[in-house]
Amino acid sequence: MSVPDRTRLPIRRPPFGGVSNKTLAGSGPDWDLIGHPVPPAGSPNVLLVLIDDAGFGNPSTFGGPISTPNYARMAEGGLRYNRFHVTALCSPTRAALLTGRNSHTVGFGSVGEFAGGFPGYSATLPRDCAPLPRILRDNGYSTAAFGKWHLTPDGQQGPAGPFDRWPNGWGFDYFYGFLGGGASQWDPCLAENQKIIGTAAEYYDQENPYYFPDAMADKTIEWLHGVRAQDARKPFFIYFSTGCSHAPHHVAKAWADKYTGRFDQGWDRLREETFARQKALGVIPADAELTPRNEAFPAWDDVPSHLKSFYARQMEVYAGYSENADHNVGRVIDAIEELGELGNTLIIWIWGDNGASMEGTITGSFNECTMQNGIPLTDEMQLQLTERYGGIEAWGGELMDPHYGAAWAWAGNTPFQWGKQVGSHLGGNRNPMVICWPERVTGTGGLRSQFTHVIDVAPTILDVAGIPVPSSVDGIEQEPMHGVTFTGTLTDPGAPEHRTQQYFETIGNRAMYKDGWWLAIRTPRIPWVITPEALKPYAPGVWDPDADPAELYYLPDDFSQAHDLAADHPEKVAELKELFWAEAERYQVLPLLATLSTFFGMVPPLPAEARFEFRGDVQNVLSGMIPRIYNHSYAISADLVVPAQGAEGVIVAEADHLGGFSLWVDGGRLTHTYSMMGVFIYRQQAEERLPAGEVTVRMEFAADAPKPATGGEVTLFINDRPVGKGRMDHTVPIRFSGYAGMDIGRDNGGVVDRSYEDRKPFPFTGTIKKVTFDVKPHLTGEDEQELHVAAHHGHAAHALAQ
Amino acid sequence: MKLDDETTDVLIGGYLSKEAADDDYDAVLACGGYLHGAVVVAKDLQGNLSVEQTDHMVREGAAGLGAVGFVVGLFAPPLLAATAIGAAMGAGVGKLLHHRTASKLEEQAGATIPIGGAGLIVAYPHSAAGKVEPAVTRAINKVVGEAEGHHVQALKGAIADAQQKMADSGA
Repeated sequence: MSVPDRTRLPIRRPPFGGVSNKTLAGSGPDWDLIGHPVPPAGSPNVLLVLIDDAGFGNPSTFGGPISTPNYARMAEGGLRYNRFHVTALCSPTRAALLTGRNSHTVGFGSVGEFAGGFPGYSATLPRDCAPLPRILRDNGYSTAAFGKWHLTPDGQQGPAGPFDRWPNGWGFDYFYGFLGGGASQWDPCLAENQKIIGTAAEYYDQENPYYFPDAMADKTIEWLHGVRAQDARKPFFIYFSTGCSHAPHHVAKAWADKYTGRFDQGWDRLREETFARQKALGVIPADAELTPRNEAFPAWDDVPSHLKSFYARQMEVYAGYSENADHNVGRVIDAIEELGELGNTLIIWIWGDNGASMEGTITGSFNECTMQNGIPLTDEMQLQLTERYGGIEAWGGELMDPHYGAAWAWAGNTPFQWGKQVGSHLGGNRNPMVICWPERVTGTGGLRSQFTHVIDVAPTILDVAGIPVPSSVDGIEQEPMHGVTFTGTLTDPGAPEHRTQQYFETIGNRAMYKDGWWLAIRTPRIPWVITPEALKPYAPGVWDPDADPAELYYLPDDFSQAHDLAADHPEKVAELKELFWAEAERYQVLPLLATLSTFFGMVPPLPAEARFEFRGDVQNVLSGMIPRIYNHSYAISADLVVPAQGAEGVIVAEADHLGGFSLWVDGGRLTHTYSMMGVFIYRQQAEERLPAGEVTVRMEFAADAPKPATGGEVTLFINDRPVGKGRMDHTVPIRFSGYAGMDIGRDNGGVVDRSYEDRKPFPFTGTIKKVTFDVKPHLTGEDEQELHVAAHHGHAAHALAQ
Repeated sequence: MKLDDETTDVLIGGYLSKEAADDDYDAVLACGGYLHGAVVVAKDLQGNLSVEQTDHMVREGAAGLGAVGFVVGLFAPPLLAATAIGAAMGAGVGKLLHHRTASKLEEQAGATIPIGGAGLIVAYPHSAAGKVEPAVTRAINKVVGEAEGHHVQALKGAIADAQQKMADSGA
């Protein structure tokens, strides 16, 4: 058999090695023709695990307070890496991880929800950057991804695709998970391969309720068993990307209760405790210093005493949620071990993609989307809303979409400053990594401190598999991978530094690393503050990035970035600034987008469609793809056939009680329920019952004014006759939900109106012929444009929090 | 103490949860100040209304606080008033005030308490303010109205004053 050329993919079919005569007489077959590409001999299985929204100081394996026995097991049998770097945002890290290239180069300078009109921000993978799963698959690996994806543009997550932006299009044979940036762990709107399959059937099982992390592990093991049932030797590549520890922080109470009382000391003390453990473990240098608390975070001592238990529970739930992730990764590892294949399985386990998230604001939130919709809530308000949905003991349960307070995230990023979104500092850029490969790693239990970046992972996997980075894929010449293999560190603690230079950039926060020096330039906006006032300084023509204050650190002597040396080394600051701009140009970082500045005056065209029709029982329309009814007058009408005995059930519903709407029939009466993020809930009901036969029903919302979150009047109609009315003082300005979908004829998953919870999904018992959304324009084009810009800001803010 | 002995105060508190309103209701009852009456009204997530009240007003012969329509306007949603995105607050509050002459407590509360919300009304002589008002610690929005006069007229006046202040605070 000839050696295939793996530099050009797909691998060309081998030349026919047999003989073909006029008949079989004298002909000789070449059985290799019906084979398939196989990886080089000895290529290992690969399990790549990525935990979400977690920090360097979270897992106990790195000194944190969260028990991670499986992570520790892998570290003891493998290696800890304490200078591993990511980008400070979800999608960019994932794109870099799976392509081996800098995120901007592959279109993911920002997140999948926000596909902008510049090459570095298109959220669209270029064809000259074939990703790792595609390369492995074409070389003979079985490939599968489970969990969070977050690499498909927001408006392309339905049956129309295009599917080259879905996991299968990236080279995964199989996908089970969710496409967005976050999801409920109780009722996620799931995708399987190229279909949105919605809420799992087990969600409705009261005795054994569905839980996504458990299902992820179940599906992974099921897939693995299926592959092995067919082929005992074909290596696999599993990308196990947990929804944990991203909000909503959902976990069963028993997991959270394991941490009862463990955080009563508060975040200031927790950082000190974690720091001490990190030193004792040796995962940070003995001379490392604990960076001080920025004034953006409150001191624990200043938290009112009656609210401390509320705050402490937020972290207890986060910890239980994270430990559960460790547990489920452990189940997958156990399954591999049970197959007898752990020895030749390369396990790369990265604990966090961007540091811990501070997007819960100072207070934490019962509903993560309140921040994204610009609804400021005090901690007392948050507590009361928490009480409304079951109390602090129910934080983590199905009735809330919680996110802890920002200071807990800061503590999770110990010993560093800041966290997610802050691409200038290590709190957002440095996360733990563990590598275990029993047959190859030597010096197990050791520590590696080479400066390593997420773009180095793919080249390393290819390197150990003996597979070259292809120069051509589908006839398209390829951009070389920017990452560099760090295979040498697997066996040599003294392996030379393979990476001496790297830029970092996340929404204007930026850094330039070179030969130990780290230039940090942070825009002053606080990550959880997205008010127009906070954004205005970064508008085009206003912001001068070269005027931003710069900090300088020398990491070999200062592990945690505790000493700013900028004033002492102005020449180094200038050198690294210049280098950053050069790297920014080289890797498509430009135009530099400070915070959300791209959206001042650079918004997409106004939507062309204002009328949307849904026929049949269309279900699970993802939240980013529903008609944009926000901040406008609109009407929802439905053509129904009501049987003689009457009808009830949901005509159309979006999301759930924490933000959404439902047009439904209750006891024969047309009813409209609207949840303004679970803070305000409005309900209007017809004063008469629906007649039998063909009926047209309609709800109309007449907005007060062309402004975000406008109030307005609701009128219900039956056959064009008004039959009910009511007022909604506040409406949702940006987006109802980060994950929950819209359904015709039922309300899948968590319901909008809790009064039909016991009948969920409460399917309509008549016939729905058509549901139509008609979004009304405001009076002037100027109003429309202003609203469009405001909505665009909001959508971007939402996206960044995913 | 009779209702017409001195200035009557009415405190109105708005809440996002029944639990918070209950906490303040209990605190008011335990504060040691003389009360003409206290009522907590809440609506759960299914839309069911619950009302709990003391019987002080009945024993004082004031025909019950509910009889004078004081629950109206007790929950003027204030949350978005301070936000950058703004909200239409005035219209809703005005509408609530328009209904203040209604008489049945539960009907009024049903119309004005939002789903998931709660309200607390406490009526007391002004001399008890130093004990009553500090006991109300969890209200999202809290106002105190006052009026002088006789019996029910004083109470109505204090309620109207409180409601106006509530409207002003939310607008």
